[in-house]
Amino acid sequence: MADGRTPSGAGEDGSTPPGPDPAGPAPAVRPFLVTAGRVAPSASGRTMPVETQVVATAEGLSGLDLLSFEQHDIVAACRRPQSIAEIAARLKLHLNVVRVLSEDLRVAGQLTVHVPDSGVTHDASVLRRVIDGLRAIPDSRGVLRDAD
Amino acid sequence: MTPTEPATRPGAAEAPVLRPPLPVKMVIAGGFGVGKTTAVGSISEIEPLTTEAAITEVAAGVDDLSHTPRKTTTTVAMDFGCITIDPTLKLYLFGTPGQERFGFMWDDIVEGAVGGLVIVDTRRLDDCYAAVDYFEHRQIPFAVAVNAFDGRVEHTVEEVRWALDVSERVPVVVFDARERGSVRDALLVVLEQALARTEG
Repeated sequence: MADGRTPSGAGEDGSTPPGPDPAGPAPAVRPFLVTAGRVAPSASGRTMPVETQVVATAEGLSGLDLLSFEQHDIVAACRRPQSIAEIAARLKLHLNVVRVLSEDLRVAGQLTVHVPDSGVTHDASVLRRVIDGLRAIPDSRGVLRDAD
Repeated sequence: MTPTEPATRPGAAEAPVLRPPLPVKMVIAGGFGVGKTTAVGSISEIEPLTTEAAITEVAAGVDDLSHTPRKTTTTVAMDFGCITIDPTLKLYLFGTPGQERFGFMWDDIVEGAVGGLVIVDTRRLDDCYAAVDYFEHRQIPFAVAVNAFDGRVEHTVEEVRWALDVSERVPVVVFDARERGSVRDALLVVLEQALARTEG
């Protein structure tokens, strides 16, 4: 792969040791070299929140071989929906680099980008579903929360 | 959810189009070493991930380690985890550095969050002022969670409330960042606040 990329072989899927990923060595390539100096998504006008979901399109996956470096890795990582924060963490890329490249890949039809609507996420019905879902999580000893 | 592009396209019909879940975001804030990453890790279904920000050097040599003897590294960016509520709904927990010098990062992380949990170490209350101020100023529903290190807290909830000067409407709870059930219940307190506000 490209020089200066942090090797990301270990720790991809559940093989990470306990605790947060170590930061690892600093990449030799300046982060914004790969975005040609751009620091924010161009067209959408709005910064993607860190939880924005990104999914590879069929075109993106079938054309994977034609992509290189970071673009390739991002599309490949998005076979299943990912947040841009997850992409940044797993590929060890700067968050804003992921934002810029995701926007490029969306425009090129290789990804779909789903910016959450805060009106929807703050809706009472959604909050209730989150509350009910959390209540169903047992504690460390497997004991469920008292119903109330 | 507002897809910026149609989720289905003609011609891509044979491939199953994966609809991403609706992401709901909560923020775990607090000073250095108060247990943010521990709390996220206690309840997240994935090991907490860390994203790198370009501010690593800012933190170098600044953190006061005197009261946190076992912590030797500074998390300069954010640790996060997630909980799948169901295939259409996913809760993300973002742990943010609470120190004032990271203030410029906050809007980037907090934008759109449904609520915040401010974790407090009673030995170093002043570390959380920036986070409390931020949530109050931005009118984001939040609760204060006093982390019971080794099962002990050195100040009562009333003393913490007085010291932080938070409004009566802001819940102050004692919790254990290492215990999944305890973290779950603290998050539920925040979500109930958020829900009460929508129904306000």
